[in-house]
Amino acid sequence: MKGVLLSGGTGSRLRPITHTGPKQLVPVANKPVLEYAIEDLKEAGITEIGVILGNKGREEIQELLGDGSKYEVDITYIVQGNPLGLAHAAGCAQDFVGDDDFVMYLGDNILKSGVTELVESFEAGDYGAGIALQEVENPQAFGIADVDDQGNVTELIEKPDEPPTNLALIGMYVFSPAVFDAIDDLEPSWRGELEITDAIQALLEDDYEIDSHVVTGWWKDTGKPEDILEANRLVLEDTELNTAGVVEDGAETNGRIGLADSAVIKDGAVVRGPVSIAENTTVKSGTYIGPYTSIGANSTLEGIHIENSVVIGDSEITANGRIVDSLLGRKANVESAENHLPEGRRLVVGENSQLKL
Amino acid sequence: MRIITHTCPACGTIVAANELEDNRVMKCPGLDCQEVLHFEDLPENAREHFLENRDRYQI
Ligand SMILES: [Zn+2]
Repeated sequence: MKGVLLSGGTGSRLRPITHTGPKQLVPVANKPVLEYAIEDLKEAGITEIGVILGNKGREEIQELLGDGSKYEVDITYIVQGNPLGLAHAAGCAQDFVGDDDFVMYLGDNILKSGVTELVESFEAGDYGAGIALQEVENPQAFGIADVDDQGNVTELIEKPDEPPTNLALIGMYVFSPAVFDAIDDLEPSWRGELEITDAIQALLEDDYEIDSHVVTGWWKDTGKPEDILEANRLVLEDTELNTAGVVEDGAETNGRIGLADSAVIKDGAVVRGPVSIAENTTVKSGTYIGPYTSIGANSTLEGIHIENSVVIGDSEITANGRIVDSLLGRKANVESAENHLPEGRRLVVGENSQLKL
Repeated sequence: MRIITHTCPACGTIVAANELEDNRVMKCPGLDCQEVLHFEDLPENAREHFLENRDRYQI
């Protein structure tokens, strides 16, 4: 079994954060989203991983993952270039996959339970493909699968008016090499892409059995800022957090706090977990960091109250105010406007930024 | 739709034909790889097929 990890896409819904890098590298609990996928594949016993690169962030992704040795996996890069669809991405991986089965994993997805059960379920039978499903409340908005009593998929329907089930496809698949013949015969859809659901439908029509696996734990597509915050909350809730850094006497901490060994919580600061604070970050007196917040590396916080937020890193946040439900990009600084005349907020805001003042 | 790729002989990075054709001659996108890749590195039948169906490989 091999892994194919999709890391293309424009990240347009995550601007301005993605003006400077690919969406798969946005950190959740101080770890790039893409690393969760690598770890999930490895946990499922998959160590040969093809990483599909689009037009954006190729160097950054290669710089992060390297040859995979730091994760004890072996990475091959596959340059898809133009976003011609998930089935095109899979097709680009054919020489890498060869005659093996493979898991296809969307690199901006993050899920609690990993892919091990999906893989085991697929391997327990003789299937052409396996798909991960999750129950949703608004099936009209998703690609939906109909399944029989054995959990075999009988039909895939895109955004149905009258959904036969509430089981939506999430971005995790297992394929046998038979999918490559199906992709070969595909035509681009109305939007000019080779659709993976069309490839699965073609396998069904060729009488392959398609396995389904219903994912019960949380699953998040981290395409939008609010999804990053939600994923950060879910991961902080579930992950073991280790306080390796210095908590000075006079600092008030409670709850679970992940503190890198070079990070400091100073006398007079208050931190309530779950919180993650990365390397070389200092939390100074008068600061309050509330639950579900991740502060990236090389940052200084002083006087601010911040909660349910993600600070990516290299930031100076020294204003005397409250920040909630926020996503701050790398090197974003927030200082006080006190003592500046005329009175008012002073902003240097990039394209596609969103502020609520 | 036939999907055509080329594997860099130096580092093993796999490159889709649409990417090669866009550039004709390109430095391998593998980080730190100095290999130069050409659309002409593809077998002739693959190149012909690609060029005949060029529109479908664009977006
Ligand atoms: Zn190369």
